[in-house]
Amino acid sequence: MDNLTRMKNWTPNLRNSELPRRTFFSRVGDGLHGAALAYLLGRDLVSAKPAPDRTRERVYDLRPRQPDFEPKATSVIQFFMNGGPSHVDRFDPKPALDRYAGKPPGRDLASTIEFINEAGGFMPSPFKFKRRGRSGLQMSNMMPHLAEQVDDIAVIRSMFTTHFNHEPSIFLMQSGRPFSNRPSLGSWVVYGLGSENQNLPAYVVLDDPKGLPINHIQNWHSGWLPPVYQGTRVRAKGTPILNLKAKNEYPDPVRDLARSLQGRLDRRHRDQRPGQSELQARITNYELAARMQLAASDALDLSQEKTATLEMYGIGQEETDSYGRRCLMARRLVERGVRLVQLYIEGQIWDTHQNLEQMLTYACGKTDQPVAALLKDLKQRGLLDSTLLVWGGEFGRLPLSQSREGNLAGRDHGPAGFSVWLAGGGVKGGTVYGSTDEIGFRAVENRVSVHDLHATILHQLGLDHRELVMVREGRSERLTDEFPARVVKEILA
Amino acid sequence: MSWLQAGNSSRCGEAGSFRRSRLAGEAFWLLALCLTVGIPDLLATQEENAPDFETHIFPLFEANCLSCHGASQPQGELDLTTRESTLQGGKSGPALVLGSPLESLLLEKLHSGAMPLGADRLSDDEIDLVRRWIEEGSRVEEGDTATVAAASADVVAGHETVTTILNVKCLLCHGRRYQEGGLDLQTRASLLKGGASGPAIVPGKPDESRLIQRIENSDMPPLKDQARLSVRAVTSSELERLRAWIAAGAPYDERKPEPVVASEDPLVGDSDRDFWSFRTPVRPPVPRVQGQNRVRTPIDAFLLEKLEAKGHTFSADAPPLTLLRRAYFDVTGLPPTPEAVQAYESTPEAYEKLVDDLLDSPGYGEHWGRRWLDASGYSDSEGQVSADAIRPNAWRYRDYVIRSLNTDKPYDRFLLEQIAGDELFDYKAAEELTSVQRDMLVATGFMRMGPDGTYSVSQAFVPERLEVVASQIEILSSSVMGITMACARCHDHKYDPIPQRDYYRFSAILRTAYDAYDWLSPSETPVGPEADWNDSNMRVLLGAPPEEVREVEEANAPVLREVEEIEQAFEEKANVLRGKLLQEKRAAIPELIREEVLAAEKTPVPERTPVQEYLVKRFQDQLQILPEELEKRFPSFQEVAKEKRDAVQKVKKRLKGNPRLRALFDMGGRPTAVHVLGRGQYQNPLEPVTPGIPSVLGVGLEPYRLEKPKWTTDTSGRRLALAKWLTQPRHPLTARVLVNRIWQYYFGSGLVKTVGNFGRTGSPPSHPALLDWMATEFVRSGWSMKALHRMILTSTAYRQSSRRNPGIDGDPDNRLLSYFPMRRLDADAVRDSILKVSGRLDPTPFGPPDPIEEKTDGEVVAKESKQGYRRSIYLMQRRSTPVTMLDTFDAPQLRPNCLVRNRSTVSSQALQLMNSETVRASSRFMAGRVIDTVGRDPEAQVKRVYLAALGRRPSVEELDWSKSTLADMTDEWKRDLDQDRSPEPREGRAQWLALGTFCHTLFNTAEFLYID
Repeated sequence: MDNLTRMKNWTPNLRNSELPRRTFFSRVGDGLHGAALAYLLGRDLVSAKPAPDRTRERVYDLRPRQPDFEPKATSVIQFFMNGGPSHVDRFDPKPALDRYAGKPPGRDLASTIEFINEAGGFMPSPFKFKRRGRSGLQMSNMMPHLAEQVDDIAVIRSMFTTHFNHEPSIFLMQSGRPFSNRPSLGSWVVYGLGSENQNLPAYVVLDDPKGLPINHIQNWHSGWLPPVYQGTRVRAKGTPILNLKAKNEYPDPVRDLARSLQGRLDRRHRDQRPGQSELQARITNYELAARMQLAASDALDLSQEKTATLEMYGIGQEETDSYGRRCLMARRLVERGVRLVQLYIEGQIWDTHQNLEQMLTYACGKTDQPVAALLKDLKQRGLLDSTLLVWGGEFGRLPLSQSREGNLAGRDHGPAGFSVWLAGGGVKGGTVYGSTDEIGFRAVENRVSVHDLHATILHQLGLDHRELVMVREGRSERLTDEFPARVVKEILA
Repeated sequence: MSWLQAGNSSRCGEAGSFRRSRLAGEAFWLLALCLTVGIPDLLATQEENAPDFETHIFPLFEANCLSCHGASQPQGELDLTTRESTLQGGKSGPALVLGSPLESLLLEKLHSGAMPLGADRLSDDEIDLVRRWIEEGSRVEEGDTATVAAASADVVAGHETVTTILNVKCLLCHGRRYQEGGLDLQTRASLLKGGASGPAIVPGKPDESRLIQRIENSDMPPLKDQARLSVRAVTSSELERLRAWIAAGAPYDERKPEPVVASEDPLVGDSDRDFWSFRTPVRPPVPRVQGQNRVRTPIDAFLLEKLEAKGHTFSADAPPLTLLRRAYFDVTGLPPTPEAVQAYESTPEAYEKLVDDLLDSPGYGEHWGRRWLDASGYSDSEGQVSADAIRPNAWRYRDYVIRSLNTDKPYDRFLLEQIAGDELFDYKAAEELTSVQRDMLVATGFMRMGPDGTYSVSQAFVPERLEVVASQIEILSSSVMGITMACARCHDHKYDPIPQRDYYRFSAILRTAYDAYDWLSPSETPVGPEADWNDSNMRVLLGAPPEEVREVEEANAPVLREVEEIEQAFEEKANVLRGKLLQEKRAAIPELIREEVLAAEKTPVPERTPVQEYLVKRFQDQLQILPEELEKRFPSFQEVAKEKRDAVQKVKKRLKGNPRLRALFDMGGRPTAVHVLGRGQYQNPLEPVTPGIPSVLGVGLEPYRLEKPKWTTDTSGRRLALAKWLTQPRHPLTARVLVNRIWQYYFGSGLVKTVGNFGRTGSPPSHPALLDWMATEFVRSGWSMKALHRMILTSTAYRQSSRRNPGIDGDPDNRLLSYFPMRRLDADAVRDSILKVSGRLDPTPFGPPDPIEEKTDGEVVAKESKQGYRRSIYLMQRRSTPVTMLDTFDAPQLRPNCLVRNRSTVSSQALQLMNSETVRASSRFMAGRVIDTVGRDPEAQVKRVYLAALGRRPSVEELDWSKSTLADMTDEWKRDLDQDRSPEPREGRAQWLALGTFCHTLFNTAEFLYID
């Protein structure tokens, strides 16, 4: 326990009230399986970060590891808004579009369009923008709930990506390259930091029960990092983790008999083979697996929450129930020391190729209240300072109309400029950084690349993106690869 | 505004006489480049704080860079003394891309600390200053920053850049395979000659050049084809380059690529070639050691030499049954049957015979084939795109690999076929392929296994195509050559003597088969609304076994008939309406000449008089019905048409795909030129190159020699030359790399630990002499893999116990092999052996992969089957949906390939074995089998389970524990069943369930999962 406390104290920016809270939850298993926990949290708990050494093999596990420097955040919640949410209708007001309404685009803009045959003229946003909060940050009227938390978020209006199609852009956003072969951001984070709670997965994915996002489970794959760093899908309904429980469990006494026999055989097998540390690790894993059943059920049991909390997240209301549940689960998971939680969204609700107004109303209606509630809830509990929230998709939309005109028109993919926002975890609230051009097509001022965003997220977790390295076949690999990447210090407190 | 089309452009006026396409006319798809008016208010604020070269950047460069990148003889030809020279860049291309730090080499070098060379990295603030300068200080002078290629606008682009623009935007329709309108844009001569409507360019006069006119008018590339052909409009900066080039007289530097003699590359010297792995291995003498009694094969002598130097020796031989289980898993990936265990117990001296038998069993090819498939990146789907299209014919390659291993095809031949099978015989001249010939084509599937998403038209642009080629180069160079060629794609290799030029010379070997500018779709099932590929646009060959083709034809015939019937019924309905509509339309022809017009139409075309011709043309709208007209005139007909389309689609779903060969083949004809690509980007072509092998391997070997065969099959011979070069007996890498990888699978790690990297950043061999001895022996044995296996399997090193030698210091990783390294089963062996011991393994080999399905809880399993389940190698391997059990136990994600599998120990493995229904079902299955075999005696049951699952008999203590647990479990199951009041029998069921639980328990033990 001493080391755990040391680790805690080592992040002095955390509020006092929060220390016992996280510590408490990460110790939930203590009374139940004291011996195993003692093993896990024992003297090896905080292993020093080894220099990248080409000769010695690193042990690939999830025990907490020292960051490179003092972190601002210890957890990340990522609202992955796959589909490409429109920036010009939500965070990036472009009054100039009124002037150009209906005019066709020029050659260079046209050469970046996916559905070239369907492109129409410039289209102003059907939504009204207004200054919000003390900061006066501009947002459209699509997100009344988030508008109330606006002084906590920092909007980057100058993101850009390199491909106009979903798959490559999502791969880029997840892994730093537009191809499917690299580890995701989440995998890198838990590879670098491990987890504070060994009874729960370190990297949790809350996917939408209505279906997997584009690129499926490759979104949270660990690439060539060991699979222990892969994201674990946690389901909102049914058994939360695959094979956490058997479909038809044996009667309790039978199960206990089986476990006891297996324990005896395994210990004997281990004792006959001194020096094979892998065998002990395996025995521990069985204990962990058993403990995870309890810890996961507890973490995901929303009935422990007050009615007011459930209402705040919109749980029980048809529109917001699904996303609200997952947002609340995300809070309960980071509370228990889960390092990184990713929320995905059903199908392609942000992919507004047509019916822009109707689709955006639906997408915002589904997510606005839950997201804002999570922000507020974390803040009330003193967890916002140590939890970094990241909201964004793989690209934005074009300032042009697509498919049809009038109410039925949509917008095609716009990779050259889009918005994301961050909050908590050392982010300076009420900030706007960067800008797109007059029409919202291209990021022009203080451009932020996907690699910059990655470097910034890692930085808040106390990781230097140049130092977070996996040596593979003699080659040092990084999330940001050899790309120039810069921490966006301007949005940090 | 640059993003708005410029309606009042003077150039539009000049182009007015040229025909405009309908769409272009309607949508004003004109050009935008004339009015590059900035955004005054935005610019004003930026200019204030934008760093400028002289004040901010030059002092920084002066202090840190100019000692090497000064004006006289700058390193890498990069001169950083002025803004202009900096923009111009150096050998590796432009130093920066204005407005785009992300794409700027200069910044990348500063960020990564690669530059300044040998000095401290610049501070973050300094780097940020450069970044801001690139980002902001440039815009003032630069009109367009949309294209990566933009280097410096005032430099006339070389013809390489122009050629690249034409290649990317035009070549598909005006190049090697098609010359639409008679126009071929491949050479200057063909540009001058032009097509049906005249020359494409008039040197010195861009405005009079049709090429420019058609592009400016947005006639080309045609809007309607852009999506379908994965081509986009020419950007304004590209257009400007074309104009400038033509204005300058269309200079075409006819310099042929200077063939770089591999032995004379100035960037690679003798000291580079002196690195151990680049020298041909010399067969070392087998050392004399003290413990001659432990030397069974020369391998042992080499290992003992090092052990004895430390005062150690091997461990004792492993007990016979331990060795039996080890050898079974290592050779076949399956455990021995109880019968095999019993037989071996009585004849343990027959180990050599056992080894021979195992190597001759079909399981050998399946187990070791799996490993070759890992190295080749084998997959049954294309990956990359969400649709993750199935590769319906990939399995032929999988079968080829298994068959080749089982027949012990010599490794040199095996490689020859896989790299260049299509160039080994004149396949286009063959009437019908023999099975041996077919195998040679199927073998080239090796070169087709990387992820390839270009079947989706929105992901088939040049960068994605080049990525496919890059994956293939990575697979080939890592698995066969053991060098990290991929590192030299964007720059000279940082550690190994592989100049970037070598990468592109190597990639030129593939250009005649994989041409990024004349691309073939990879998949037999193209996707996307616009996709309309047929065989000639796909990278597949005919020539599947005739009986297979016949079978599919027979199965498809009734389906096709059904489609035809639907179409016919529809046509009948349509014809009635068509007649009606035609009548209406004809009524619009002036009555005065109507008869004459109709008569003219009836007259056969050659017999028409000029007047008749005129009439038919004049009234063609009234005489014919366009497809969409019918639905427009009769709205109710829309519904009928839709129903028909749906019905046809539904029926067509039952069609079986035509059997094809997934192969790589030379496309013949004139391939596009290959250039070194600055920073790996196609927009940045540098010097041209010819095909060749890495220079560091260019001395002391037979050279890479091209011979173009005179065949019906037009093939360049480029890959055949590579394959021959690679398989020459003196090649320093080919044999070493394979021997080392095979070694790795037996002893947990290779003699060279980095099995895909024998370069400077790889790890040096732990036993260099042993590696060289084995490599030379391998070649001497005629590249026989089975002989190599036999040599390893019969060695003392392999046969020793896995118990750690107490007291050996300084070798924590057991590199000296003083004991046999205990290992966990790999993913396939875990699944296969559970199926095998529970009697559910279907041994049927080969053929299309078995389907998989995703259960509601997300577990991906083999689709339920009454015949049992085949080995994991025969399961559908889809990149997007890995089989859960295999994924959990570290089956690799092949992107692109895998030379070392991870071995993780994680709790999801415990959850999988404890709770997965598939494992539990197998346990119950096994219990039933055991009862069928030995009856109801618990002791006999326990013994049988031990024999089957662990390949040995239980100890007295284990037998005791097991029997008492089994008895308790039976009681508990009975108690549980008693709660149910149904009259079903209980006793037998409880016994069966208890035995099932017992089997399940053993599947979960460490001993089941580990090989001693």
